[in-house]
Amino acid sequence: MPGPIDYSKINIIPDPDTVEWWEGTKRHKFLVRQCKNCGHKWFPPFPACAKCTSMDLSWFETAGKGVIHSYVVVTQPILAAFVPAVPYVVGLIELDDCHEPDGSLTRVAGVMIDDEDAVAIGLPAEVVFEPTGDPNFVMPRWKICGTAQNTWKFNE
Amino acid sequence: MGALTDKYCIVGVGETAFMKASGRTPLSMACEAVKRAMDDAGLGARDIDAITSFQIADSTDVANVAQALGIRMNYGSVAYSGGSTTEALVAHAIGLIEGGYCNTVAIFRAMNGRTGRRMGGQAPGGVVPPSRAEGDAQFYMPWGFTTPAQHFAPSAMRYLHDFGATTKSFAEVATAFRYHASLNPKALMRAPITIEDHQRSRWVAKPFRLLDCCLETDVASAFIVTSRERAYDLRQPPVFIMGGSARTYADNPAWNHSRQRTYIQAGHFARQRVWGMSGIGPQDIDVLSIYDAFTYTVIIQLEAYGFCGIGEAAEFVKGGRLRIDHDLPTNLSGGHLSEGYAHGVALVNEVVRQLRHRADDACPGWAEGRHSYDRAAGCRQVREARFGACLGWGTETRGSSLILRSLSA
Ligand SMILES: [Zn+2]
Repeated sequence: MPGPIDYSKINIIPDPDTVEWWEGTKRHKFLVRQCKNCGHKWFPPFPACAKCTSMDLSWFETAGKGVIHSYVVVTQPILAAFVPAVPYVVGLIELDDCHEPDGSLTRVAGVMIDDEDAVAIGLPAEVVFEPTGDPNFVMPRWKICGTAQNTWKFNE
Repeated sequence: MGALTDKYCIVGVGETAFMKASGRTPLSMACEAVKRAMDDAGLGARDIDAITSFQIADSTDVANVAQALGIRMNYGSVAYSGGSTTEALVAHAIGLIEGGYCNTVAIFRAMNGRTGRRMGGQAPGGVVPPSRAEGDAQFYMPWGFTTPAQHFAPSAMRYLHDFGATTKSFAEVATAFRYHASLNPKALMRAPITIEDHQRSRWVAKPFRLLDCCLETDVASAFIVTSRERAYDLRQPPVFIMGGSARTYADNPAWNHSRQRTYIQAGHFARQRVWGMSGIGPQDIDVLSIYDAFTYTVIIQLEAYGFCGIGEAAEFVKGGRLRIDHDLPTNLSGGHLSEGYAHGVALVNEVVRQLRHRADDACPGWAEGRHSYDRAAGCRQVREARFGACLGWGTETRGSSLILRSLSA
């Protein structure tokens, strides 16, 4: 497993567009934005619908499950919070319940619980909610939750 | 052809040294770069009546440069904007002059990219103190996902996956540009490297190694745009602006990661406009510069502008194709990877010098256009440089381009 992340060294500043998203994580919900007019879903929570321009929006509670579309293995820490964590994998997770008939999709990023050796493109992953030490913030992370055919791993 | 094709020219280029620790202000460096570009063109302070620049809260205002150099501006502005702004400011300059707002525009970028504000938030000397995750950073900073290397890596990883490519293709880019830097006295990193050197260099953010990353640099660079009529009387052979694109965006421009194919770069959406406006195509290009924030950014821009098909560049760059005396000489200065990171302006300067036939190399007569073409003796002038292109990267979802020709083309 990657080392611990020192969340005390990141100062998260929610704003009126995002405060409800952060509130959701405290209740262990992974939310995405949803348009009340046309049903489109997206992340991060931009304040208008890219399909119909409506600003009449709600939140959709995803099941927090998806497939690893790609990833990066960070070996050189830049932020102080991540010095104890390296090497760690940031996964890009394509959410299962945000696929739309026209092909649009939603991918979210997050730090994998798993080591690099376990991560591969194509594997299923699910969200886990990690305490940060600050009662005002709970952090979504991702962990591999099954197997798949046709997975691919960077092995250079 | 575009309505303004060949009506405007780049007439002067200049820069400071490429430095690891300048000990100077961005203002001082900007003044030197603009002054050098003016001297190169044979223009005085009264001949310049507009200055534009771009920055991300890490540089100086154009008013300070105008004050210092005694320039009275009919137009001056600073874009808060990153890579690929260089070529967009050329488009601004053309529109401003065409509209009669001003006559001659100096464009600069000045920054202490290594000892001042570093890309991705790293502080001089190492990691940063507690950082504020606000605005869009709320959705990447808490995931340790902040630097350009970290942001572009997933697109690169997926590219390798989709096309069965390896990072040896990245190494081809790094080694070609370093070879060119060995012929450029201005370059920061001039010692040649091999494919194996690249493959052995340490990981930064997989699939990127140290030798995939550009050089954080303290530098200012500048060039001057004016009308064809004024350009003919100046000191240097004018280089004509045929066309280009000014910060074209892809879909999902602020969150590339939800695009269907994250490695299809913004240039893909501009290519018909760019080549249509210019009246030439990628097959006509003799000298190319590509914004090489990373080796991989070269790969996907080659594809975006049609130098090869999507997914083909990893093969395309093999066998030294991007090297001088080969098919498509690219980043002849060494580029951001080996000359130094100047946010795109220095890449334009190199193409201008090549199209003038005045690459500032080891040839004693370079300033008069006399070159030996002897690479072992340090000549980096391309033999026949008639058409040039500069491709600007500002992430996968934003990009600019500039198509240039020589006086004789
Ligand atoms: Zn909608």
